[in-house]
Amino acid sequence: MTNTKTTISRRAVLKSGAAAGTLAMLPLWAGSAQAACSTLRAGITGYNVINTLDPAQTTLIPEAYVVWGLFNCLLKFDENMNIVPDLAESYESVSPTLLRFKLRQGVKFHDGVEMTSADVKFTLDRLRDDATGSPHQSKFKPISEIRTPDDYTVEIETAEPFAPMLSYLTNTRTGSQIVPMHLLKDGTPDDFATNPVGTGPFKMKSYEPGARIDLLAHDEYFEDGLPKVEAVEIPLIAEETAGVTALLGGSIDITSTAPFADIPDLEQDDRAQVLKTPGTSTRFVSLNNKVAPFDDVHFRRACSFAFDRQAMVDVVLFGEGRVSNGIIPSSISWAATQERPPEIGLNPEKALEELEKSKYGKGAEATVLTWGSGWWKRFAEVFVLQVNDVLGVNFKVEVSDSGTVYQRMQTGDVQASIWGWLGLVDPDEYAYEVYHTNGSRNYENYSNPEVDKLLEEARRTMDQGPRGDLYRQAEALAIEDCPVLPCFESNVHNLLAPKVSGFVQRPYSGFGAQLAEVSDC
Amino acid sequence: MPSGLKYLLTRLAGSLVTMLIGTMVVFFVMKLAPGDPALVVLGDFATPESIAAFNAKHGLDAPLMVQYLNWLGGLARLDFGDSLSVSSGEDIAALLMFRLPNTLFIGIYAILIAVLLSLVLGTLAAVNRGNAIDTGATSLAVLGVSMPDFWFGYMLILGLSIGLGLFPSYGFAPPSESVLGALHSGFLPALAIAAPMAAVFTRTLRTALIENLDREHVTVAKALGHPPRFRFLHHVFRNSVIPFIVVIGLQVRYLLGGVVIIERIFGINGVGSLMVEAAFARDYFVVQACAVVFLAIVLAVNYIVDLICIMLDPRRAR
Repeated sequence: MTNTKTTISRRAVLKSGAAAGTLAMLPLWAGSAQAACSTLRAGITGYNVINTLDPAQTTLIPEAYVVWGLFNCLLKFDENMNIVPDLAESYESVSPTLLRFKLRQGVKFHDGVEMTSADVKFTLDRLRDDATGSPHQSKFKPISEIRTPDDYTVEIETAEPFAPMLSYLTNTRTGSQIVPMHLLKDGTPDDFATNPVGTGPFKMKSYEPGARIDLLAHDEYFEDGLPKVEAVEIPLIAEETAGVTALLGGSIDITSTAPFADIPDLEQDDRAQVLKTPGTSTRFVSLNNKVAPFDDVHFRRACSFAFDRQAMVDVVLFGEGRVSNGIIPSSISWAATQERPPEIGLNPEKALEELEKSKYGKGAEATVLTWGSGWWKRFAEVFVLQVNDVLGVNFKVEVSDSGTVYQRMQTGDVQASIWGWLGLVDPDEYAYEVYHTNGSRNYENYSNPEVDKLLEEARRTMDQGPRGDLYRQAEALAIEDCPVLPCFESNVHNLLAPKVSGFVQRPYSGFGAQLAEVSDC
Repeated sequence: MPSGLKYLLTRLAGSLVTMLIGTMVVFFVMKLAPGDPALVVLGDFATPESIAAFNAKHGLDAPLMVQYLNWLGGLARLDFGDSLSVSSGEDIAALLMFRLPNTLFIGIYAILIAVLLSLVLGTLAAVNRGNAIDTGATSLAVLGVSMPDFWFGYMLILGLSIGLGLFPSYGFAPPSESVLGALHSGFLPALAIAAPMAAVFTRTLRTALIENLDREHVTVAKALGHPPRFRFLHHVFRNSVIPFIVVIGLQVRYLLGGVVIIERIFGINGVGSLMVEAAFARDYFVVQACAVVFLAIVLAVNYIVDLICIMLDPRRAR
């Protein structure tokens, strides 16, 4: 016989009372109704500095998060990192140096003016112009000419074949979001940085510096049925932990990131949905190949064999990531190294063998530069502890701030540092710019003519298959030289309130543009 | 009251000197710390050329003393300048104007909560000296001082907001939009800041009350047949209020320290959270401006406390 008596626990009574209390209190100040999800509350978490929303000037991740929702580019990435059309209806590679784009017709800027090929040409010319001072300028240097045969056709000619160009024309951290010529042709007005006009699914409503951004749906958006919500409120939440409590307490519907350490608990919590996907990120130990003791390839290789990367994934990322196969992230699967090279793994015997061959022995000293107080510091400590233990060397950790570390890397005033890149979308940005002798981010002072040759060849190869193979070959050679010690890649996370649906992640941590597809909240 | 006026004017001059020294210390300490606003704004894309251009544009290439004097000159004209790297190009005065009411609201709210709590607990403890009520109130006070405010803040969110749903877990409705909303959404942060203050106030009030309860004039009043309530209010409480008010004035410094942390946890757009952001972004002039505002608040409160004390006890002016 089963006991069917219903009992109401004290907790249930308290909860219902509290719920009633909350409902009674809400109308006092909450304002908008939240039933049919007219307003999506999408918190940017972990950051709150936004200096500009002018695509040509953006550098910071939170700036990009908003810009992606306000603008479109010619192209974009789908969730599998395939390049697909955005403002362009179609595109073709006419010759290795000529790209031709057919534009969609009837695309409107937020002020109602139609977007045409003239705006595309203007946008790219503005990025290339020295007077603009765009941090993205160098990406568009290879362009020699932009032609607009008619209102809906754009031809981009490069002096040399330049395969990364397609990636640079996607709606990511590229700066190539199409801006309105009619508003900017006589110089960029002061308020364009805080009140920009684009073609994106959302338009600017208001901006309170450091606090919040409010967006409204762009009624004339070119994709039918998008955006699905009428408005988006974006509070800028500096503390990632505060973002979690805000979501659990129902103050926001979605977050842009989540603290790694909280993921296991949140996955068990029915008050939140946890979305995760392997990110386009790479974290490594950068070694200055020009200074002792890292000017010796055997010593570098000994270090590479001397530590367990999985320990880093466990301790630094709380398991929220994976050991790298190289510095090209595995989420860019067509170019990433598929099988982990032996150098990227703990092998104490090999490590000591290499140390034997090196001109430096046990007791070699080096300072490993890192920054912040959180996981970057732990990252350095996990590396130094293991290497000291396995090789008997005497490395130590120096903690500074990110800006200083970056500056010291640029000027070569460093032996080793903990570093990485995040959100870059083309393998060229990882491999060429770090491994090539003239790479703009080759702070390791690494140089190998064979690697250079392969990377240059990859830049000239428009076909994705063969191009990916060239990156794999180049990386295989580079990893033997150990100019950097690849460590791990982290997942990207979003937290969603239980009711939210329609948000699809991107490996580069998409946000603004993806909010257009959210239907319930 | 010429002597009183002279006293107050001297205090005012002293305050201005304190402020001058304060801003100088803040400025040079910030400059000594590693970091660069140009790198914050330019991010991954910084080059030596773009950094130099940024510094030239914002006058950061001038000698340090010149930069400080330029800033001070602006301040004299009530011009705080523009933000470098928390909200590039934004007028700092506008940033502050939008945030100051929130900080003041939370600060005053916290003081009110702390004063109310301590009046009740302190009086109960003093009147019931030595028994269980006294022990309970004193233990609460020890607990209040011992809990770090950021921890207590998160505990309040966990219990009262996420657990019971009584208060929003994040965000603050500015008083300019809705006073009721501000009182509701500001309650947890104000309570988190108030707890340690209430503890100190309670202990101060208890000690002062006990001391005055034993004074001769109170015994005389008792002998004259004044009723207990009258004796307590006129002979004991009134004399105990001065140390109580002085302590409130002193605690304002700690209050502002608490505001800086609590604003970040609860997502209140106040001067405290702005100062933290600005310090991280090496936005020297915003940090300076926030420091000036905080110094001004501390000095103003001390000034007001002095005035009140003089009103309560005119002997203090001499």
